[in-house]
Amino acid sequence: MLKRIVSTMKSPFEGKRMESDLDEELRFHVERETEENVRRGMRPGEARTQALRRFGGVEKTKEECRDAGRAVWLESFLQDVRYAGRSLRKNPGYAAAAVLTLALGIGANTAIFSVVYGVLLQSLPYGGGERLVRLRVDAPGAGITDGRFSPPEMNDLRGSGDAFDAVSEYHSMWFVLLGRPEPERVQTGVVSANFFDLLGVRPILGRTFRAGEDQHGAEAVLVLSNSYWLRSFGGDPSVVGRVFRMNDRPHTVIGVLPPIPGYPEDNDVYMPVSACPFRANPDTENNRDAGMLRAFARLKPGGTLGGAQAQLNGLVKRLEHDHPGNYPASIHVAVAPIPLRDELTAQARPTFLLLSGMVGLVLLLACASVANLSLARLVRREKELALRSALGASRRRLARQLLTESLLVALTGGVLGLVLAVGCRQLLVMFAARLTPRASEIAIEGPVLLFTLGVSLLVGLALGLVPALSSRRSLVSALQEGRDTSAPGGPARVKLRGLLVVAQVAISFVLLAGAGLMLRTLWKLAQIDLGFKTERVLTSRVDLNFSRYPEDAQKRDFQTKLLDKLSSEPGVVSAALAGNFPLSDRGPANGRFRIEGRPGAAPENLPVADFQRASSDYFKTIGVPILRGRGLSSADRQDAPKVAVISESLARHFWPGEDPVGRRIGLDGQHPTDEITWLAVVGVVGDVRQYGLLKPPTEQIYLSMLQYPGLSTTCFVRTSSEPRALERAVRAAVHTIGPEQPVDRFRTLEEIHEGALASPRLTATLLVLFAGLALAITATGIAGVIGFSVGARRREFGIRMALGALPRAVRAMVLFQGMRLVAVGLGIGLAGAFLLSRLWSGLLYDVAPTDPVTYAAVALGLGAVAAAACFLPARRATSVDPMVALRNG
Amino acid sequence: MPTERTDLLQGTLDVLILKTLAPAAMHGWGIAQRIQQVSEDVLAVNQGSLYPALHRLEEKGWIAAEWGSSENNRRARFYSLTRAGRRQLAEETESWERFAAAVGRVLAAT
Repeated sequence: MLKRIVSTMKSPFEGKRMESDLDEELRFHVERETEENVRRGMRPGEARTQALRRFGGVEKTKEECRDAGRAVWLESFLQDVRYAGRSLRKNPGYAAAAVLTLALGIGANTAIFSVVYGVLLQSLPYGGGERLVRLRVDAPGAGITDGRFSPPEMNDLRGSGDAFDAVSEYHSMWFVLLGRPEPERVQTGVVSANFFDLLGVRPILGRTFRAGEDQHGAEAVLVLSNSYWLRSFGGDPSVVGRVFRMNDRPHTVIGVLPPIPGYPEDNDVYMPVSACPFRANPDTENNRDAGMLRAFARLKPGGTLGGAQAQLNGLVKRLEHDHPGNYPASIHVAVAPIPLRDELTAQARPTFLLLSGMVGLVLLLACASVANLSLARLVRREKELALRSALGASRRRLARQLLTESLLVALTGGVLGLVLAVGCRQLLVMFAARLTPRASEIAIEGPVLLFTLGVSLLVGLALGLVPALSSRRSLVSALQEGRDTSAPGGPARVKLRGLLVVAQVAISFVLLAGAGLMLRTLWKLAQIDLGFKTERVLTSRVDLNFSRYPEDAQKRDFQTKLLDKLSSEPGVVSAALAGNFPLSDRGPANGRFRIEGRPGAAPENLPVADFQRASSDYFKTIGVPILRGRGLSSADRQDAPKVAVISESLARHFWPGEDPVGRRIGLDGQHPTDEITWLAVVGVVGDVRQYGLLKPPTEQIYLSMLQYPGLSTTCFVRTSSEPRALERAVRAAVHTIGPEQPVDRFRTLEEIHEGALASPRLTATLLVLFAGLALAITATGIAGVIGFSVGARRREFGIRMALGALPRAVRAMVLFQGMRLVAVGLGIGLAGAFLLSRLWSGLLYDVAPTDPVTYAAVALGLGAVAAAACFLPARRATSVDPMVALRNG
Repeated sequence: MPTERTDLLQGTLDVLILKTLAPAAMHGWGIAQRIQQVSEDVLAVNQGSLYPALHRLEEKGWIAAEWGSSENNRRARFYSLTRAGRRQLAEETESWERFAAAVGRVLAAT
C-alpha cells in the first residue's frame, strides 16, 4: 500500500527513472520493428531506416507521452483537491475539529522549534563561530568555582602557547556617563583592543578598537552597544565622534555595534582596558590575586579543545612551580576552554529540549485524535467509497483521494498553526530571554517555515495512510452487504481505533506527569525559605561614582545623609543600605578570615566567607531575624571598635555547639606585612539566599558600612503601603544629596523573588497548557470511540436487556470495555514517563523525576476523566427502549 | 487482401488497446502488430499516438505496466488490463456498439 501511495505521489516529480524507462521502451519498439523488416527481407540498414521512418519523431513521441501522463495527473489532482474541499465543506464539524486540533499541534511545534532553531541550532552570531571559547578557572581547594583572572594571569594566558590565535580579556563595571540631559549609569564592558576582532563582530557605524588603544596613555574611546544606541540616542548616526565625560576624563564615541547577544553581560558601552581606572591602576595590573577578568580566546584554525586544554594544563603546572604562594597545589587550580556555544545555551538547553519533546507528544496526540475522527468518518463514507469504486474508480485513485483530503486538512492546520506561532513569538522571546542571551535571534522565517511545511506534509501523509491501512478489504463487499452505515467498519478498524485511544491515554499520562512534576517543583521553589521578608520593600541601586566620592569620609557622609533623609520620608517604616541585594546573580564576594585563638594556617588555607557591608537597620528592613546578640547599629562607627555579624550557617560551621558572640575574627590587610584587623562578633543572624534561589545560603560575614564604606550600594526601603509609590521620593532624596548621583533599577523584593521564579513558572505554565490540551483531546477521543461502538451495538444491547440484562450490567460492560483500553494506556504511559524521566530531571527541584505521588495523582486524575468519558456513552447505551432499538436497529 | 489503410477515429485507439490487452499482457510493439493483424491491415496504428495513449491509460489506472522479457528475450514493457480497465472496456464496447449500430441504421435507411 505504501508503495502504491508513493507511486501516486511520484508523478509530478517524475525523474530520471521514468525518462530512461520511456527511452528503453521506444528503443525496444524500433528494434523489434527492424527485426521484423529484416525478416521480411530488407537489408539491416534499410530495415532500421524504415522502422524509424514508420515510427515518426522519437523525441516528439516522448514529449507527447510525458504530456499525456502529466495532463491526466494534473486533471485528476485538481479533481481530487476540488472533491476534497467539497467533501470537507459537507462535513464542517469534522473539518473544523481536525483542522483546529492539528493547528494547535503544529502551531505549538512551530513555536518551540523556532526557539530551538534560533537558540540551539543556528550558527553563533559571531564571525569567530565555533572556534570561540571562554577560559574558565576553578580552584576547588580554595572554594573558587568559575573564578576570575588577574591582569598578570591574562598575560600568562596570552603567552601560554599557540593553541589560540587570539586571547582577550573582559570585565564589566557600572560607570556614570555625563553629558546627557541626566547623569546616566551605564554598564560598561571593559575589554582588550582585540575583543571584537576575536569575536568576529563588525560595527554598523564607525569602528571598533584598534591595536594599542588598550595601552597606557591612549585616548579614551567608547563603542556603543546596539540597544543602548537605540534606547538613548534614538539610533542617531551622528553620535560617532561625540565626547562624553566618564571617570573624570573625556571619552570619544568611535562606533556602534550590531545587535549581538547581551553576553557576557548586557553592556551599554564598551571601553578598552586602559580607560578603566580600576583595571589600569598599577596596583591591580601587577597583583596576581586581583581576580576580576574573564578570558576569551579563539582556537587557531584546525585547533581542538583537547590541544587547548593540554596547553592550559601546562600553564597551570608552570604557575604552580613559579608562584607556589599564589597557586599552592592543594587548591587544585584548573583552567578549561568552554565553547562559547555551550556558554550561551547551556542553561536553556534542558528546558528547550524538554519542551520540544512535550510538543512532539502533543502533535502525536493531535494526530491520533484526528486519525480517530477520520476513521469514524470513513466508516460513514464507506458506502460512498464503495459506490465510487463500483463506478470504476481504482483503489489507487480512492487512496489518493483520501490522501489529498488529509493533506488538505494538514496544510490548512499548518497555516493556522503558523499564525498561532507568530502570535506567540513575543511571549516566547521573553521566556527564552530568561534562559539565554540568544533569545533575540528567535524568528519565524526560513528554516522554521520549512519545518512547519515538512511537519504539515508528514502529518497529512500519516493521516492519509490510516484509512488506507484500514480499508484493505474490498470496499465492494460493503456495498454488497448493504450494511447499516453506523456499524463499525470491521474488527480491524475497531482494533485500530482502540489502539489510538491507548496511545492517546499513554501520551496524556506522560504530558500530565511532566506538568505535575513541574508544578510540584514550582511549589517547592515558592516554599524555599528566603531568610528575609519580601513584603513592601523597595530596592534600588545607588552606586557611588568613585571620582565624586574617592574618600571614605565622603562615602560615609553621603550614605548617612541618604539614610537620614529616607527614614524621615512619610510612608517609610525603615531604610537601609547594603552592598548587594539578596537573590542577586552577582556571585559571592568571597574573602578569607582568621579566627582568634585557632592555630595559624597558611594564608591560602584560611576559612572563606562572603562579605557584605550593611547599614544599621539592614536586618530590620529586609526582615532577617537576629538569633543571638545584636545586629549592626549606628554606634558601630569608624572610631568605635570594629564589629562583625555572622550568619547562622557560618556560626554552625566554625563554632559548632558554641556561642560565637564575643569571639573575634581577623582580616588580613592588602599586603602580607599589614597588621591583622580584629573584629568582635556581636551577633548571629538567620541565613539568607543571597545569590539565587537555588544556591544554598552562603556563609556570610556582615560588616558595618560606617566602618567599611564602599561604592556599590543598594538601597532598601520598607514601606507602610504600596512600595512602588515611594520611587519618586527615593529618587528625589538621592538627587537632593548628590545632584550628579544616578539612582536606578527600582524593584521590590517581591519582584526580585518573582523574577527568580519566572522561568520555572513559565515552563510549568507551558507544560500545564500542553497537558490540559492533551487531556481534553483524549477525553473527547475516548468518548467518541466508546460512543461509536455503543451506537453500533444498540441492537445487541436491546437484545441483552430484552433477555433480562440489567441496565446497570450493560453500563458496566461498556465501562469495562473502555477502561480496559484506558488501563493499558496508563500502563504504557507510566513506563514511558519512567523512561523519559531523565529528560526533566535537570529541571526539577526537590522532586524526584519518578515522584510516586505525582504519578499516582496523574494516574487517578486521568483515570477519573477517562471513566467519565466512558460513562456518558455507556449511559446512552441503556437509555434506549430495547423494543425501539430492536425495531430500528 | 485490401491494402488501403484507414486512419483511426479519434478516441477509438483507447478502446482498441484495452480490447487487445483483454486476453493477455503485451508490449507496445505487440499491441500495434496485433491491432493491424486482427483488422487485417485495415487499421494502422500510428506509433506516435500509441505510446502517449498507453501512458494516458496507465495514468488513468486502466492499464498497468511491468517490465518483462519479450519473445526474443529482451527487456520490454508489458501492459496489462486492470480491473478498472476491464470495466472501462465493457462500458466502451457497449457504447461503441450502440454508436456503430446507430450509424449503421442511419446509413441503411437511405
